[in-house]
Amino acid sequence: MTSPTNSDVLTYREAVHQTMRAALRDNPRTIIIGQGVDDHKGIFGSTAGLLKEFGGERVMDTPLAEEGVTGIALGAALNGLYPIQTHIRADFILLAMNQLINLAAKYKYMFGGRFQVPMLIRVVIGRSWGQGAQHSQSFQSLFAHVPGLVVIMPSSPQTILESYPYVIRQHPGPVIAFEHRLMYDLKFHMSELRVGHSPLTSFRIRAGKHVTIVATSIMVMEAVRAAEHLARHSDIDCEIIDLHCVSHPDQELILASLAKTGKLLVADTSWKAYGVCAEVCRLVAERAPGLLQAPVVTLGMQPAPCPTAKSLEDLFYPNLRDLTDALAALVKGRRDHGIRLPDEKSMADVYKKFKGPF
Amino acid sequence: MKTYARFPDLFEELFYQALRIRLFEERIIALYPSDKIQSPVHLSIGQEAAAVGACRQLEPADLLFCSYRSHAYYLAKGGPMPAMMAELYGKVTGCGQGKAGSMHLAAPEVGLMGCSAVVASTIPHAVGAALAAKLQKQSRIIVAVFGDGATDEGVYHESLNFAALHKLPVIFLCENNGWAAYSPVAARHAYQLRKQAQVYGIPASAVEEGFCPLKVYKAFGRVVDQVRKTSSPCFIEVKTSRYREHVGIGDDFSSGIRQRAELEAWQAKDPLIQRQDLVAKYTPDIAAEIDAAVRYAEESPWPGPEELLKDVI
Ligand SMILES: Cc1ncc(C[n+]2csc(CCOP(=O)(O)OP(=O)(O)O)c2C)c(N)n1
Repeated sequence: MTSPTNSDVLTYREAVHQTMRAALRDNPRTIIIGQGVDDHKGIFGSTAGLLKEFGGERVMDTPLAEEGVTGIALGAALNGLYPIQTHIRADFILLAMNQLINLAAKYKYMFGGRFQVPMLIRVVIGRSWGQGAQHSQSFQSLFAHVPGLVVIMPSSPQTILESYPYVIRQHPGPVIAFEHRLMYDLKFHMSELRVGHSPLTSFRIRAGKHVTIVATSIMVMEAVRAAEHLARHSDIDCEIIDLHCVSHPDQELILASLAKTGKLLVADTSWKAYGVCAEVCRLVAERAPGLLQAPVVTLGMQPAPCPTAKSLEDLFYPNLRDLTDALAALVKGRRDHGIRLPDEKSMADVYKKFKGPF
Repeated sequence: MKTYARFPDLFEELFYQALRIRLFEERIIALYPSDKIQSPVHLSIGQEAAAVGACRQLEPADLLFCSYRSHAYYLAKGGPMPAMMAELYGKVTGCGQGKAGSMHLAAPEVGLMGCSAVVASTIPHAVGAALAAKLQKQSRIIVAVFGDGATDEGVYHESLNFAALHKLPVIFLCENNGWAAYSPVAARHAYQLRKQAQVYGIPASAVEEGFCPLKVYKAFGRVVDQVRKTSSPCFIEVKTSRYREHVGIGDDFSSGIRQRAELEAWQAKDPLIQRQDLVAKYTPDIAAEIDAAVRYAEESPWPGPEELLKDVI
């Protein structure tokens, strides 16, 4: 089997596309199944051209039947296929909750280990350009809550190239990957792929002394931007952990970092209550509350459905300024820290390549 | 499924298999008050002929997906009886190592690929397995077994459409016992089962005499032939009657839900009741087999703490 290649600069879309193509090429039992996987847009380009190369039996459009198709994918997995299912918005996976939580998550355990249902479910989180209440949700914690499911949130082409081939070739059960629409068009610099251990874990992507940032998905990128700003305009040195596998994070990595910094900020793409933010706090509160030199700070969506007006949407999500301000206040121990803040109000303005509509 | 050279004809063989299921479930009823079986049981008593007639037409390689009412299919498809009894007892030697109970039986070695307690939820699995069979050019066929109540669910309709659209080798086998728990068909269906399947272009047939394993066998055989020949889905409805309460070992008379007369009319045609000569002939053998299964279950150990977190991922 060949690995997706590692080049210097890659977009998120290209990384997903490489892994999808490699999955079909390397294993004749792999199929990609989902609404629109074979159309001219190909799930934001991530499956573009694959119909032509591999045919309609392996790159299969589906009726609008999320529960049924998830059950069909599960049944196909039981009879030897490796299904990769897609949802162009994470919101639509709710219609498949029954199959994912009542069936896929339990198909091994409930039958005493007699079955395995290896499958990858890719869902795309939407944001900005008026995605609104039903095209913007980020349900990682709903699924990470359930034993038997593995949930990952690739934050970069690098994590895609490391995780997807591993999951597709080696992981024996269902994996749900939350991709982020805003990253699709962005170019990322690539480093050497980290190989030799399971990528179903967390990664330290920046070493620092003063504060530990635990972030998911696009918030990892935001954390890097905030850390770089603070490095330019202050003496604050941030350590960043890409939580990545939100269902099975590397707890030791987080605690070791906290032992060094004593301060924790969690930045997630979703609501804070009962979610990733709350879960990371549980970990620290249960295992090492004494490491905290200051109360934890969490950043996420405001506790409302997502509004569409840009003026409200910009308030709904934390921006670079909020994040940088929160980090500075946490490290300095006061709100009037006096550190210059970036005057960016909207993340959508930065990721200008996303011009909608979808 | 095993065949018994000792049977004088196919009817007796099928009768034997049906009796075996009934006596097994009657043993559950006898054991239930002892609390040795701590698992919600959905008995198939009255419905055995459907499972026996259908499974006798299947090869071991053919796959079956069922609901929580699956004791009959487990046995009819050839699942080992001791492992089933041990599972009902919650023992580690059970077919699901004590994690499945009555509602999640499985015997992949003979093609029983899982049973689910969420109504209709395994129907798409059968369709998916049939998709996999088609893409991998397997010759097996797949059977989804479900009740009339399961057809109320959206996923049933999604499954029929997908199977028809992609011409998949799957049989939708509906055991119509007229009830979903305590709700009769008339209170739930604006549609007629076969006509509804035909809307998707799926050929649909029915067995009116679902008490007779031979009648089911013959009708199901026609459907199996058609699916093997056309590699396209078929729907078959078996009219049947559940003698016991929806779940548990009671009946539906004390609650006033059903009338005795309804059942008695059906029972008057049930060979397992009417052919007492054959019941007498085969009961000793079967009782001995069940005794051995009970002994196996009772002597088997419970799952230990090391099992609790095993097989999660
Ligand atoms: C999705 C779902 N809804 C409701 C129930 C509760 N329930 C269990 S069995 C049942 C009746 C199903 O009837 P049917 O499909 O006709 O099968 P039968 O029990 O008659 O074999 C109901 C409503 C359930 N288990 N799952």
